[in-house]
Amino acid sequence: MPVSDIAASDIVETVPSALIVLDRNLNITSANRAFYQTFRTSVEDTEGCLIYDLGNRQWDIPALRSLLESVIPHRASVEGFEVEHDFPIIGRRIMLVNARKILRPGDHDGFILLAIEDVSEERAARRESNRAWQLTQSIVDTIRDPLVVLEDDMTVVTASAAFLKMFGITQAEAHGRRVSELGQHQWDVPALRHLMEKVLPENKPFDSFEIEDDFPVLGRRVFNLNARKISQPGNHAHRMLLVFEDITDRKQRERDAEMLTNEISHRIKNNLQIVIGLIAYEAKWTAAPCVQGYKAMQTRIGAIAQLYDLISQSSRGAAVAADAYLREIGKSMTASLLDGTSDITIEVKADALNIDPNLAVPFGLLVNELVTNAVKHAFPNGAGRVVLSLKKTSDHVELSVADNGTGMKEKDAPKIPEKRGSDYVAIFVRQLSGTITVTSPESIGTTITIRLPLPVIPLGAAPLAA
Amino acid sequence: MSVILIVEDDVFIRQTAEMMIEDWGHQTLVASDVEEALALLKSDRHIDALFTDIYLKTAVHGGFELANEAVKLRPELRVLYTTGNFVTDKMKALFISGTQLLRKPYTELQLESCFAGLLAA
Repeated sequence: MPVSDIAASDIVETVPSALIVLDRNLNITSANRAFYQTFRTSVEDTEGCLIYDLGNRQWDIPALRSLLESVIPHRASVEGFEVEHDFPIIGRRIMLVNARKILRPGDHDGFILLAIEDVSEERAARRESNRAWQLTQSIVDTIRDPLVVLEDDMTVVTASAAFLKMFGITQAEAHGRRVSELGQHQWDVPALRHLMEKVLPENKPFDSFEIEDDFPVLGRRVFNLNARKISQPGNHAHRMLLVFEDITDRKQRERDAEMLTNEISHRIKNNLQIVIGLIAYEAKWTAAPCVQGYKAMQTRIGAIAQLYDLISQSSRGAAVAADAYLREIGKSMTASLLDGTSDITIEVKADALNIDPNLAVPFGLLVNELVTNAVKHAFPNGAGRVVLSLKKTSDHVELSVADNGTGMKEKDAPKIPEKRGSDYVAIFVRQLSGTITVTSPESIGTTITIRLPLPVIPLGAAPLAA
Repeated sequence: MSVILIVEDDVFIRQTAEMMIEDWGHQTLVASDVEEALALLKSDRHIDALFTDIYLKTAVHGGFELANEAVKLRPELRVLYTTGNFVTDKMKALFISGTQLLRKPYTELQLESCFAGLLAA
C-alpha cells in the first residue's frame, strides 16, 4: 500500500514524537498518543485547555511562551527549538520543539502544530560521553609518557599534553592526521605499520617496538612504542592507544655500560695474550720435558678468558645462570677439544640454577679439567659420549661428568683427583666447598660426581629461560 | 711455506705472533694499523694470508675495513681475524665469508690449528 493511502490520523498516532495542535488562542485542540504517554496526561485534561494551564501550569515555560508568542507569529515554521524544563510529574526534561503554522483556505487564524521530541536521555548520554571523554583526556594528560589515541584508520583522535609538548605541535595540528604523517614521517616504518594494522582487527597488542631517529625539536631520540586496543563500554567503536616511551637515556646508559665492558674485556684479553706470549718465550728456551707444562698453563689461561666471556653471556642479573653457563662450556669445549669429524660428543643436562659469580670461574675450570681428562683418556678408540649434568637435590647440588669410555682400572685409583692433594680438580672442589666421588662400575665408563653445598648456588632454583 | 701478514697494534702481541708463526716455518710481514697493512697489500709482495686484530688503534672495526679492502686487492687472500672484544652478532655480520676468527687470548696450538685449516682450504 502506498504511504499516500495511509490516513493522516494513523500516522499521527504511530509516530514516536508527541504532537499537539493549538488554536490561535493557544488552546489545545488535539494531541496524539505519544503526547499523552510522554507527559502522562489524559484527553479530558488536555483538549480545550490553554497550553500554559495544562497540568497545573507546568507548561507555562518562558522559553515556550517566547516561541509561541514572539517567534511563531512572524514565521511559518520553527525547527529544533530547545526547551529544558523541570516537569512536576516526569522530572527534568529537554525537548526539541518543531512548530508549523497550518492555515486552511478562508481561515486566517489557522492552527499551530507542535511536534515535541523528548531528547533528555540522548542529551544525558551525550553529556556522560563528554564527561567520560574529558576524564579520559585528563588521565591522558597526566601520563608522563607521550601517547595518542587513534581511530581505526590510524588518524589521531587525541594526543596527550606530553605528546604535544614533546613534538612541538598543537592538538589541532595532531587531530585527524595519520601517525605516519607526524613529524618528519619518522613513524612511517613498514614494520610498525604492519604491527599497528593488527592491533584493532586482531586485538593484538604490541610492546617494545624500538625506533631511533632524529626528531625536529628533540634531536636524536630512541622511542619504545607500545599499542593496544581500547574499547568504551556500550560503544562498538574501538580505538587504539599508542604510547611513546622515550628510552634515549636508558639506551645511552646501556650503550655506555656495554662499551665499558667491551673496553675492559679488550684490555684483559690483550693482557692475557701478553701473559701467554711471555710463557711462549719462556717455553722456547726451556728444556723439552717442561714444555708440556708451559703449554698446559697457556691452555688454562685461555680457559679462564673463555669462561669470563661465557659468564658475561650467562649473566642473570647479579647471578650467573649455571645451566646456560654449563651449556656454553659444553659448546666451547666441543669446539676447542673436538674437531668437526670427532666421534666424541659432549652433552649437557642441567636444571635451571644460579651460581654465585665469584665461584663461576673455579666452577668452570673444574668442568674444564674433568671434561678435558675424559676426552683425553677415556676414549682410546676416539668415540664416545661425555655427559655434563647439574641437578638440585633437597640439600645440595650435584655436578657430574660421566663418560662411557674405558673406565678406571684398579691401578688408576691413586690418580683419583681427591687423593692427589695438589691436583687442580681437588683444588677447585675445595674452593667450591664440595666433595668428590668417582665411580667406574665394572670398568665401563667413569662418573665423577661433585656434591656442592646449596650456598654455592645461592639464589636457588631460577626457572628462567637462559 | 706461506707468507702471512700480521696486523696488530700491540707490539708485544705482534712479536709473539710473529715468533709463533715463524717457528712453524712460515714467513711473516707485520703492520700496526690499516694504513701500513694496505701499503704492504698494494705492493707486489707475495702474501698468502692476513692475520688481523679487529680493534686497531682508534679504529674499532679497523680489521673489518682492512679485510674488505684486502680481498678487493687480492681476492685469493685468506683472512683470520682476532679480537679481545665480545663478538656480537652485529660483528659476525661484518665477517667476509670464508674467513675465520680466533679469540684472544690464543695459544700457539690454537693459532697453528687455525692456520693449518685456513691455508689448507
